[in-house]
Amino acid sequence: MASRRRMLLKVIILGDSGVGKTSLMNQYVNRKFSNQYKATIGADFLTKEVQFDDRLFTLQIWDTAGQERFQSLGVAFYRGADCCVLVYDVNVMKSFDSLNNWREEFLIQASPPDPENFPFVVLGNKIDVDGGNSRVVSEKKAKTWCASKGNIPYFETSAKDGFNVEAAFECIAKNALKNEPEEDPYLPETIDMTGGQQQRSSGCEC
Amino acid sequence: MQETDLHDLSDDADYAASIQQGSASVMMTRSGSGKQSSSSEPEGAEIVYSKDNVAIHPTQFASENIAGRLKLIKQGNSLFMTWIPYKGQNSNARLSERDRNLYTIRAVPFSDVRSIRRHTPAFGWPYVIVVLSSGLAYPPLYFYNGGVKEFLATIKQHAFVVRSLEDANVFLVNDFQSPLQRTLSSLELPGAAASVPNGLSLALSSNESQSYGNLDRTGGAISDGTSSFSQNHGRQRHKSNDPARDLSIHVLEKFSLVTKFARDTTSQLFRENHGNGFGGLERKSYSHESVDIPRKASKDEEKIIDEHPVPPDPIEKLLDKKHDLGEEAATNVGTFELINFKEFDKKTLVWGKPRQPPLGYEEWATFLDFEGRVVDSNALKKRIFYGGVDHTLRKEVWPFLLGYHDYDSTYAEREYLKATKKLEYETVKRQWQSISSEQARRFTKFRERKGLIDKDVVRTDRSFSFFDGDDNPNVNMLRDILLTFSFYNFDLGYCQGMSDFLSPILYVMEDESESFWCFVALMERLGPNFNRDQNGMHSQLFALSKLVELLDSPLHNYFKQNDCLNYFFCFRWVLIQFKREFDYDKTMCLWEVLWTHYLSEHMHLYVCVAILKRYRHKIIGENMDFDTLLKFINELSGHIDLDPIIRDAEALCICAGEHGAASIPPGTPPSLPVENENGSLYVQEDEVL
Ligand SMILES: Nc1nc2c(ncn2[C@@H]2O[C@H](COP(=O)(O)OP(=O)(O)OP(=O)(O)O)[C@@H](O)[C@H]2O)c(=O)[nH]1
Ligand SMILES: [Mg+2]
Repeated sequence: MASRRRMLLKVIILGDSGVGKTSLMNQYVNRKFSNQYKATIGADFLTKEVQFDDRLFTLQIWDTAGQERFQSLGVAFYRGADCCVLVYDVNVMKSFDSLNNWREEFLIQASPPDPENFPFVVLGNKIDVDGGNSRVVSEKKAKTWCASKGNIPYFETSAKDGFNVEAAFECIAKNALKNEPEEDPYLPETIDMTGGQQQRSSGCEC
Repeated sequence: MQETDLHDLSDDADYAASIQQGSASVMMTRSGSGKQSSSSEPEGAEIVYSKDNVAIHPTQFASENIAGRLKLIKQGNSLFMTWIPYKGQNSNARLSERDRNLYTIRAVPFSDVRSIRRHTPAFGWPYVIVVLSSGLAYPPLYFYNGGVKEFLATIKQHAFVVRSLEDANVFLVNDFQSPLQRTLSSLELPGAAASVPNGLSLALSSNESQSYGNLDRTGGAISDGTSSFSQNHGRQRHKSNDPARDLSIHVLEKFSLVTKFARDTTSQLFRENHGNGFGGLERKSYSHESVDIPRKASKDEEKIIDEHPVPPDPIEKLLDKKHDLGEEAATNVGTFELINFKEFDKKTLVWGKPRQPPLGYEEWATFLDFEGRVVDSNALKKRIFYGGVDHTLRKEVWPFLLGYHDYDSTYAEREYLKATKKLEYETVKRQWQSISSEQARRFTKFRERKGLIDKDVVRTDRSFSFFDGDDNPNVNMLRDILLTFSFYNFDLGYCQGMSDFLSPILYVMEDESESFWCFVALMERLGPNFNRDQNGMHSQLFALSKLVELLDSPLHNYFKQNDCLNYFFCFRWVLIQFKREFDYDKTMCLWEVLWTHYLSEHMHLYVCVAILKRYRHKIIGENMDFDTLLKFINELSGHIDLDPIIRDAEALCICAGEHGAASIPPGTPPSLPVENENGSLYVQEDEVL
């Protein structure tokens, strides 16, 4: 039914292989971390019900394979996304360098109506590793990049211990919602995403 | 629509195709008659009817028609039918004694006959199809010298026969338990299911028969029939020329199984799910059936789907029929057997040959000559196809299946190969081992490739004891082999999914170098799965869509309407040959079955079709969209029962026959790739890896 579709918020998680996309998604949806996740082949998604201002939404989170070779497949899933999450591993410079490619590829393939304002959220994952000692991408560097791309909200996370994951996805959900067309008759006109007091992360600009 | 008058011939062509593979009907005849008394004429019998020049047409070639004598024999209270082909017929010199025996109908008692359908085409010879209560049917018997009427009249005198209320051309034999009201679509082709719910008689009358009749002639005769046919029936242009629909007929004909209860079951199916709604899908798929029912035909144009009717699987209908009869029937693809299929709480038939116990050591020894050569590799492949290999023996057998060992190599040659290949492996391995950390710092490609492999091996089958725990040497071996492979085949490099393939190979082979070479051999065929441009994957998914179109046109139409034709939901199945869908043991079993390339190099695609068909009812019934379907397929992982799927796949592969093979473009993996001019097998533009 139409009303059900409108409630669905589609989120795509992108980033190099092994940065922790699958782990983040599972941590958020199932609140658990396993080191037995397999490398993602093809694509999959999990859904989670989220509530804002007494309204329920279904967050559909898409996890695709990170390896470059599979990108031609991944693009099939980009269409209709309401928010795109770019993930890198703070311990791997290459994964940070790739963010630009992922972002551009997404914009080309998903061709959202208003690319300038399409909501992205960047996550720097695996901050738990080695107590932060093996970190190669500084928070400052990441935030600078995010600022240069239209103030993309930025979160540092650990899918392993769950740090900041909930907050990050809350921001992701809100951004996705913001992307929904205004004329949606099922949304109250007064939805005010900025007024949420529960906002836990300073990183979320929405 | 690019339909032309010529297309009205489609039925003819299909029928020709359907009977082309005479062997199916032949076997059917044999198995059907196998149950009967072996003598051709019972003792103390009286011949009550005898007709010469009654023929069967195993192929579309007139020269291969087999003529014989049809008899009805009365013994006591029982009536029997026999049909004995003539010996030494000029026209079919090729008819061997063996074939003769295969085709011969030996004394079928009428207590075993369910119905007889009469076809009296305007062109060509009249024929009848005799359907047994087991659901099997004999190939059409063509009466070159007429005599169908007397044949039926004689039967009526001696057996309990009633004419179907629904179809004047169908005669029910022994239909005691369910009187005349009983819906009977016996001998209907797949579209029988589309018979009109309000009880309008569905006569598969002269039109269709006629087209079959055309086949009775060859060459010019056909074109004669053509023009008349299209003149007479030109107004029926709207009828479907869906090749998939045609194959459904082909499939049914090929198995000569008749869907006596097709309509019952189907309408029941519809009652269960959708009230009495016959939705657009149904109408569309089977619109060809409407040729005789103009009122319905006009509706065919509408494609409104307001509910989610599940068009019946042409094959499944047969299964339902079997269910009703509750018995086994032997066919050329093995024994049909009923299993309880939990998902739908409905019995479904498993077909294909029953799985055999795995090949064990003693039997394996019988395949080898004294020097260790496999004497009959086809027999071996067949044996493995139907039973797999005992785990302890896999180490010995897999290298053959994978193409690492030649079947005609001796023990000594294999030992020698092992030694030389070990040296070769070590050489390649040293190439990356000798890269110093200083060098690696300036060797981004290597670092990144290694990083990817490092990340993947620790995500490969870690819940399986062979690879679990920290610092597991087997995980390191996985890494070393993959890294070595990425140097051995630098163009292809490493791609996710490779570790899934290597894992069972390493587990089976135990030895690092041997595993490597087995993996190399596998990648000879499946390397294109991992190509940068994904062409190997795309060609397989394309072939898959063609096979579904061929073997389940309603499902194909459903996918089409729901934008699912890219078959991305089967991506994982195809990329790593179901590695993630079954547990470890079952995966190994499936792989060795696939790797035999017995029946088809592309058996894995038939496995896909088989699984999809298993769940077609759920997929269509729940009106799954692309997302839901993808999720559903992903979550099937771990819930698919392998053996019946293999059997289904086998049967589907046989059903599809040449049509199936023709649906798969040349070079589709695992067919060997064609070398390009540069001699490079893998054109990689991958910037990084
Ligand atoms: N220490 C630590 N390890 C993590 C974290 N997130 C993921 N991992 C590990 O990193 C590896 C890759 O994680 P995945 O979630 O599978 O990565 P992915 O991005 O989904 O990778 P692909 O599916 O290959 O694209 C796994 O071994 C995880 O256990 C984290 O926050 N901290
Ligand atoms: Mg993943």
